[in-house]
Amino acid sequence: MADLLVASGVCKRYGATTILDHVDLRVRAGEVVALTGENGAGKSTLMRICAGIVAPDAGRVAACGAIGYCPQSIGLFELLTADDHLVMFGRGAAMSRSESLERGHALLHEFGYAIDERIVVRDLSGGSRQKINLALALLTDPAVLLLDEPYQGFDRGTYVNFWDHCQIWRTAGKAVVVVTHMLAELDRVDRVVELAAHPSRSHEHGHR
Amino acid sequence: MNAIRRVLLMAEMHGRDLIRRYVALALLVALPLAFYLASVSDDRSAVTGGVGMAFAISGASLFSVLSAQEVDQRLVLCGYRPVELLLGRLGFLGPLGLVIAALFAGLMELLSHPARPFVLALGLAVTALQAVPFGLAVGAAVPRELEGTLTIIGVIGVQLATTSTDVGAKILPFYGPRRLIEASFVRNAPMGGPVLQTLAYGIGLLIVARLLVGRRVVVRRPLPLTTEGEHPTGPS
Repeated sequence: MADLLVASGVCKRYGATTILDHVDLRVRAGEVVALTGENGAGKSTLMRICAGIVAPDAGRVAACGAIGYCPQSIGLFELLTADDHLVMFGRGAAMSRSESLERGHALLHEFGYAIDERIVVRDLSGGSRQKINLALALLTDPAVLLLDEPYQGFDRGTYVNFWDHCQIWRTAGKAVVVVTHMLAELDRVDRVVELAAHPSRSHEHGHR
Repeated sequence: MNAIRRVLLMAEMHGRDLIRRYVALALLVALPLAFYLASVSDDRSAVTGGVGMAFAISGASLFSVLSAQEVDQRLVLCGYRPVELLLGRLGFLGPLGLVIAALFAGLMELLSHPARPFVLALGLAVTALQAVPFGLAVGAAVPRELEGTLTIIGVIGVQLATTSTDVGAKILPFYGPRRLIEASFVRNAPMGGPVLQTLAYGIGLLIVARLLVGRRVVVRRPLPLTTEGEHPTGPS
């Protein structure tokens, strides 16, 4: 399988603190990679660099196809509905209103979100907000998925459903990176990349 | 064409967001009304009301930028350009400001009796329009709401404390609109200079906002993968 995401020699410092020191990450089509590591190891920073919203101090990121990024913090407009967000994010990728809603509703339905077009984000539970967050990352059917602890607030059923979807995305040939602390689920991924404490951070454990 | 659709959609979404903030909407009218009524017996009451309007609309513009920083970055990631995000806000807040200005033009005509009501309406309209890029520029320049609010209070407060003959007043963003409002009470006072000054200042503020927002929400697209495992040299 071809590589869909290649990050090489990525370095990042914040002030005097080195977050990432020559980190490499390579993800192939049809591969699910778990990104693990202690708090502050730079997992989210690496995801943000791969997504393109943080500049590395050194190193490169290359990708084949569109990238879908689901951030750890839920960045949504508090007084807009799920439909408003779907239309807005879809328009960015030149999708029509109806196309965005059709695909977005299908995604939300897959994750058990009961669609009520009148409810604004502020009135939703944390899990429901997270479902919208995830659906927005998947809306344009990207080839590369960067998911930063995307299941926070999910109930047990949705959580299991999420990991089932990782298998579906793998079968569809996507490259998936999931930041996770859920060690029980590591047997559901193809590879685990652990970001260790500085200075040597990239250690790979096992292949499936 | 798609860019225009994106701008219009952003304007629509900002409208939906603000329309659901009932208290904020009420304050957008109540704040300038309080400023105006508190000084209605004063010969500067129209200027004071205009300053109150500038406070309210600048504050709404500031909040629209600072409360959406994370979403803005994701929107740029999914295809929006920073300028489209700014124009979308301008596309809603500008017309909203004009509606508020029209309400106050009517009220001030009744209570303050300007010699040239049309000039007063124009002065209030450009005050409202100037307040949007001012709030956007401040929002793009500061990290959080507190700093932004203090900046707006500082700048517009100095504007209120000075008279239009003070040297320092001439470099402030609402100097042109203020001169227009003052000109509405004096027959044959010049209008062209204040209008041009306001226009130039407004465009300057929009350019500043665009540059600062562009830096804040910049997305560096990954390099394209050429063949398996290889990618071109150069910075990512």
